[in-house]
Amino acid sequence: MATYDWIFDGLGLRGWCDGDGSGSGAPMSMSDLMNQASGEQPDVSVWETPFPSMDALNDACDAFPQSREVTKGLERGFLDVKDALSTVLDPITQPLSWALEYALWAFQGVPWWIMIPLLALLIKVVSRSWGLAAFVAGSFAALAFIDYYDYTMQTLAVIFVCALICVALGVPIGIAMSRSDKLQQAMIPVLDMLQTLPPFVYLIPLIFLFSVTEPKLYGIAIILYAIVPVIRLTNLGIRLVDKEVIEAADAFGMTKRQKLYGVQIPLALPNIMAGVNQTIMMSLAMVVIASLVSAPGLGVLVLRGIRNLELGVGLISGLGIVLLAVILDRSTKAALARVNAAQKH
Amino acid sequence: MADPKISIRNLYKIFGSDPQMALKHAKEGMHKTELLEQHRHVLGLRDINVDMQAGEITVIMGLSGSGKSTLIRHLNRLIDPTDGEVWVEDSNIMTYSDARLREMRRKKMSMVFQKFALLPHRTVLENAATPMIVDGAKRADWEKEATRWLDRVGLEGQGPQYPHQLSGGMQQRVGIARALTSNSDIMLMDEAFSALDPLIRTDMQDLLIELQRELQKTVVFITHDLDEALKLADHLVILKDGEVVQQGEPQHILMNPNDPYIVDFISDINRARVLRARTVMKKTSENPGDTSGEVDGNDTLESVIAKSRGNADLSYRVMQDGKQTGILTMRDVVTALVPTEAAEDGMRKAS
Repeated sequence: MATYDWIFDGLGLRGWCDGDGSGSGAPMSMSDLMNQASGEQPDVSVWETPFPSMDALNDACDAFPQSREVTKGLERGFLDVKDALSTVLDPITQPLSWALEYALWAFQGVPWWIMIPLLALLIKVVSRSWGLAAFVAGSFAALAFIDYYDYTMQTLAVIFVCALICVALGVPIGIAMSRSDKLQQAMIPVLDMLQTLPPFVYLIPLIFLFSVTEPKLYGIAIILYAIVPVIRLTNLGIRLVDKEVIEAADAFGMTKRQKLYGVQIPLALPNIMAGVNQTIMMSLAMVVIASLVSAPGLGVLVLRGIRNLELGVGLISGLGIVLLAVILDRSTKAALARVNAAQKH
Repeated sequence: MADPKISIRNLYKIFGSDPQMALKHAKEGMHKTELLEQHRHVLGLRDINVDMQAGEITVIMGLSGSGKSTLIRHLNRLIDPTDGEVWVEDSNIMTYSDARLREMRRKKMSMVFQKFALLPHRTVLENAATPMIVDGAKRADWEKEATRWLDRVGLEGQGPQYPHQLSGGMQQRVGIARALTSNSDIMLMDEAFSALDPLIRTDMQDLLIELQRELQKTVVFITHDLDEALKLADHLVILKDGEVVQQGEPQHILMNPNDPYIVDFISDINRARVLRARTVMKKTSENPGDTSGEVDGNDTLESVIAKSRGNADLSYRVMQDGKQTGILTMRDVVTALVPTEAAEDGMRKAS
């Protein structure tokens, strides 16, 4: 006898419960098996009354589905639409694979004695600071010295492509959100979900959709995780532009396009840049997790450190990621500071 | 009188979820407070009729919340009315398409803002040239024109600076230069000098009067400051709770206020400094012979009192363009300094 027998008896469903199934078809839990073995029915006091969950109801009526049917059903549903979904998504996301492959090839193909000075020079142009450029050159040299150069370049290549795509997609989405309150209302829950969903979770359906050998798998994972801040801050930045300046733009007969490129984007630039900085930082965080699904780079070493308990490898590669983060953060912040200085109010 | 440059006819503006419903009540005679209490709609403007003549400064004055900023934004349709028409040079701008409206904003109307509203990422020169850049002018052209107007408002050599490097007064000069660069006949000024400190404000008022003497634009000026209104206005419109309380020539309003609200308003000003000889004098072209001198019709009473050294027995001939237009006795001068009560008749009628 189970606790909730009376529900099915009361509703006159006993026939449905017993007649339909061929006895106890569903797998039993360990405690059920033990009870069966010992042959005695446990006494359930009021204090221990179980919640009328699917499993408890299944105890009383075999025809009632167990709770594992929910997850199983979801899985079956996903597998049913999977093929249709991947015929649509595969061609759309193929350029991402190519971009990642090409970037990986390019970053590793260029010899170190061109790459390191080139990066230092780029930082110099962006930040106008020799100190930062020297720090960057020194960091890369140190990583190369302990033979982590290739891994570092792989990570850099992946971040380069993913952050670029995040900005290319995120800024227009943010602009569209700033123009329509309805779109903003619809997007905010989606963005919240993307930001709070544990990153491991969306790796699972992605593995089903794409092959693990394809670069776009980790590319999409990184982009989904990292695109949120740039969308949010573009939307916010444009909405925060001084109302009177927008009014002035209208009063002098600017078209929508002139207003967007001449007023709104330039004035929102500090916020957009802050979003880009956050996006780069988040893609760096995700590139480590994405090494679980074959993303190359320093994350692979971190993973090796965990799997094989190689303390030294794990720590050094972790430090390498920190160094990379500091470099990317400082250079984008320096660019941001320049934008800010140019448009004080 | 010539056709007005801008004519506002039966303009209503109501803010809220169902303005058309509230409009019906407003047209049936409901005022701001009742409409808010009974129907939860804010009455922005109610039955506004104002004619603005070409080449004059029309000042719209009222306290905050009186709807003056809303009103000026209807003239270039930054705000669309709930009901009514705005005519600019014989065409109703409510019928304009977007493209035609933009054309009007670029060529016919320019605007100066309370908080300057300059573009912080552009130089002073580029800011001053905004109307021409928007219209797609060549760099050489707009550079020349903007430099000319920057020089005219007293900002020689400031072109390459950024707005945040200038003081408030200088930034508003850029705002005025920007409005002038568009070469439009109509200039809308929304509390243009209210954010400036008093001394700089006086400077800017003088600059505006000087520019106006030279350029003869149609200026619509919004202010909450009566002294400023009296100094600048050719035609004064006083707004309260979204309605026109009185409009007309400022001297006339001072002598014949038709509403307790206006009496309150004008009770604090220095009448001697604002009232002019031609307003107080007795009109006559005869020369009584025993006068002690001549004063100009536009002299303020303050200067007449100074001239008489406080002697209340004197009288003066009031001259306009070399001809006598009236006689001013010091007795009239002193009487005029006492604030008048609200005139019984002529409530809310244009003078």
